[in-house]
Amino acid sequence: MSGQHASSQTAARVRRLEERLIDAGLTSDDELDGIIGRLLSGASPANGARVVARAWIDPAYRERLLADANAALEELGLSMSTGPQPQRFTVVPNTPDTHNVLVCTLCSCYPIALLGPSPSWYKSEAYRSRVVREPRAVLAEFGLELPAGTGIVVHDTSAESRHMVLPMRPAGTDGLAEDALAALVTREGLIGTAAV
Amino acid sequence: MAEPRFAVGDRVRALPVDPPHHTRVPRYARGQVGEVVEVQGAWPLADDRARGFGSPRVEAVYTVRFPAGALWGAAEEHWVQVELWESYLEGAT
Amino acid sequence: MARVNDVGGQSGFGRVTVEPDEPPFHADWEARVYALNVAMLRRGVYNLDQFRDAIERMPPAEYLAASYYERWLHAVEALTAPRSGDG
Repeated sequence: MSGQHASSQTAARVRRLEERLIDAGLTSDDELDGIIGRLLSGASPANGARVVARAWIDPAYRERLLADANAALEELGLSMSTGPQPQRFTVVPNTPDTHNVLVCTLCSCYPIALLGPSPSWYKSEAYRSRVVREPRAVLAEFGLELPAGTGIVVHDTSAESRHMVLPMRPAGTDGLAEDALAALVTREGLIGTAAV
Repeated sequence: MAEPRFAVGDRVRALPVDPPHHTRVPRYARGQVGEVVEVQGAWPLADDRARGFGSPRVEAVYTVRFPAGALWGAAEEHWVQVELWESYLEGAT
Repeated sequence: MARVNDVGGQSGFGRVTVEPDEPPFHADWEARVYALNVAMLRRGVYNLDQFRDAIERMPPAEYLAASYYERWLHAVEALTAPRSGDG
């Protein structure tokens, strides 16, 4: 394979594009570095995990989160308004009866501010094509075997809302502090391809 | 914008459209009947924004829940929720 | 006809492959493309739906062969290409 070669050609193509846009006065090196830096330092599933842990220990916060997630984020110093356009944010709670899982079949919509850059599998045709049609099989491949009685809701993110799953609090975690609870939450739990 | 035409609990059909431009109604939902489970407020219509219209139509967006059995004709028993602009929808019984 | 990106329910794409400990970007150029797109959106050179549209209009074979950020690169190039007659 000529992967290395192809990649260096692509890198050169990107440099030409970058130079052209900087020369046209449309951006600058500083701006581009800043965008990348803020993404890598600020956007992380740790943000989503904090929200989940707070909702687990504070029933009133959970209620506010489910009623108006944008406002509930602000309480924790988080925001979905940092991107190029505002996004409505909702949190969908898992229950013993209902499991939620997220997808964007048309492209790759994803709550980056709260979950970090999305994993390649989320953006893959395999995931996007299959999870709307056979979610139980896809979840099983992720190692999540749901009880037969649990209904599944697949959320296809097709407009300007972004969603996050609120996993159920695992049994046996009563004594844990908020930070320790947040550490239990995974990115996959927030997408719905894992239990927590 | 006008008041939302549909309310939570209404049955709606995604129009069997096939526009020659960008749209946000997935083909698997086209022509299918579902139930409005949430009214999301008003947003500029993606189809108009994609075409660079200076004043895109601003319309209610609805979360519509479709039964998977109707979409895929299979034994699947899950639900698929899709977020659809008002002009993608008509009332259904 | 629906475009190539509209894959919900389509069969034949195989199993979902998960890359363990995947980094946010696999090469520096991916991060630069990401940043260029955010900068253009912010500046209003184009909007998010025009960006999506540019990706969807890729010829299907090209779309399927391209990596995620190669699609982004294609779209940013297409949406910022100097129009003939300019300059």
